[in-house]
Amino acid sequence: MSNDILLKVEDLRLYFRTTKGVLRAVDGVSFELARDRAMVIVGESGCGKTSLARAILRLLPRNVHTYSGQVHLDGTEVMALNEEQFRRQVRWVKMSFVPQAAMNALNPVVRVGDQVAEPLLIHNHVKSKKEAMGRVEEALRLVGVPLDFMTRYAFELSGGMRQRVIIAMALVTSPVLVILDEPTSALDVLTQANIMNSLKRIRKELALTYILITHDIATSSELANESMVMYAGQVAERSHAGGFYKTPFHPYSKMLMASVPTLREDKELAFIPGKPPSLINPPEGCRFAPRCPERFSKCDQDPPAVTMEDGRVVKCWLYTGKAR
Amino acid sequence: MRGLALAVSLLIGLYLTIYIANMGGYVDRIRKAEIREQVGVQVLGDPTFKQLPASEQRRIIDERVALEEKRLGLDKPFILRSFGYLARAMTLNLGRSEHLTSDSGSRQVRLILLERLPATLTLFATANLLLFFLSLYMGLYLSRKYGSLLDKITIALAPMSAAPGWFYGIILILIFASLLRLLPFGGMVDAPPPKTTLGYALSVAKHMVLPVLAMTLSGLFISVYGRRTFFLIFSSEDHVELGRAKGIPPRALERRYILRPTLPVIITNFALMLIAMWTGAIILETVFNWPGLGRLYYEAVQVFDTPVILGETVIYAYLLALTLFLLDIIYAIVDPRVKVGAGAGAAA
Repeated sequence: MSNDILLKVEDLRLYFRTTKGVLRAVDGVSFELARDRAMVIVGESGCGKTSLARAILRLLPRNVHTYSGQVHLDGTEVMALNEEQFRRQVRWVKMSFVPQAAMNALNPVVRVGDQVAEPLLIHNHVKSKKEAMGRVEEALRLVGVPLDFMTRYAFELSGGMRQRVIIAMALVTSPVLVILDEPTSALDVLTQANIMNSLKRIRKELALTYILITHDIATSSELANESMVMYAGQVAERSHAGGFYKTPFHPYSKMLMASVPTLREDKELAFIPGKPPSLINPPEGCRFAPRCPERFSKCDQDPPAVTMEDGRVVKCWLYTGKAR
Repeated sequence: MRGLALAVSLLIGLYLTIYIANMGGYVDRIRKAEIREQVGVQVLGDPTFKQLPASEQRRIIDERVALEEKRLGLDKPFILRSFGYLARAMTLNLGRSEHLTSDSGSRQVRLILLERLPATLTLFATANLLLFFLSLYMGLYLSRKYGSLLDKITIALAPMSAAPGWFYGIILILIFASLLRLLPFGGMVDAPPPKTTLGYALSVAKHMVLPVLAMTLSGLFISVYGRRTFFLIFSSEDHVELGRAKGIPPRALERRYILRPTLPVIITNFALMLIAMWTGAIILETVFNWPGLGRLYYEAVQVFDTPVILGETVIYAYLLALTLFLLDIIYAIVDPRVKVGAGAGAAA
């Protein structure tokens, strides 16, 4: 692994207050991400992927119960910053965000070009509006949006074009980290492939660091250097992409991979019986144990995060003896 | 298209008002009976007719009643007359009142209304503008401080609006006028009115304190609560969230991402509030003895003065239709999603 760590997350927790009790959406997540790498976070719906992204971005809803842990980004401990410092030093300066619901993520009453230029002007990246517009044109060209769209409004654009505009917006200030939360899940397959290709090309051109959150394992393999599997608010497995896609360790990862359709092999698609546990009062011990085919007596206790010899981390009792 | 629809609903609304104000023609019968009684008293009380035989007296009474009914147009059936009312109302020919007069003695409905208008506008413009902007800013402030003590207090006080303004008016009069003797019981100026303009204004202001306070007590908390909830819902929209992620300062975010997209709604509320001032408030003005249009309405209803009731209603109806029409145009200016054009109608 590279020593040039861009993002280091330690024991990040984000709990929500609900009428039924405290919901542990992100429950002690730790990981590192080196510069110029792309990490894919996969998992079922409701496993805390999006909450993790929001915890890193500090985009919190109103019903937060606990928000703790450490997030080192590019040499700064950002959790120690207050809201105003965080806004000035981190938001869209160091990291930008492409949200899940791209259809409604643009301001309906501001022209698209002005919206893309907004972060440049707020964070004083440019001296003049004219210079900002030059940068906007550059960014739009990069993601493949025709320049005459700049004077249009969001409702005049198709879903795919809106998503591209938001990606352009995420790139315009040249942040060190871009977090993409299911950037293509609302789009048709052709547009998805198109945008994925653009993302791949842009990463090569700009040497960006991505965190890509998705439940589309097949598509994500195209982009990933690192992978992380989340289950019930926790990290089940963390790995370099090669190892993960070929030989997943965690029983959940194995079953997840087995459920991905492949074109040439004639395999029976597997599914995982049962459903993920409630994140309100989750069960003691391993959270996957009730659905795990390989469970044994130890699984009643919370498994440790075992670091394997090639740097991969897996939270499972099966591997405690095989640690490096 | 939109204009036509407005005109038709205006017509229907006005006709209903005419019909109801006349109690479906029943008012005509009341007035006929009144005329007969008046004429009877006149004729029988007149010494020149005293000597005539009873049948002759009755003939004279009938004659005069018929003449009076013809003069007032009561000889024609109500349905026909109702359309006459409608035609005059639509052309803003307000005509003459039947009983009420202006303070200067005129029976012109126009003059009667104009005389009452400043009083109503002074009171309601003050109260409504205060209420509107106070609830807008407080709502915005509370949506920022969601869950704070002040927020909880406002929510707890919202049911206060279940009682109307005049209810608080009575209580306020009891406390500040009757008990503490700090403020006047009602009316608009001291009697006799102060000579200087400044003195006059101060006197009016003093008389306005209690009615404005009463309206504020009744209206404020529910509107702040409504605005706060409105802004809370809008501030969790996806585009606001992304704006926050972009690092837009909180004030700019509120202005450009919350207020701008919701501007059509706020403008609508404001415009409807503006024209609602025209009608005043019937009971509140009566409680505070305020010489405005609301009290005029009450007085007109008591004596079945249809032209006055109709005059007030028709102007309100025209103001409402005009406002709705203007709003359509304003929407297209402030919101790019609305386009006014051939066949577009009210596209949203």
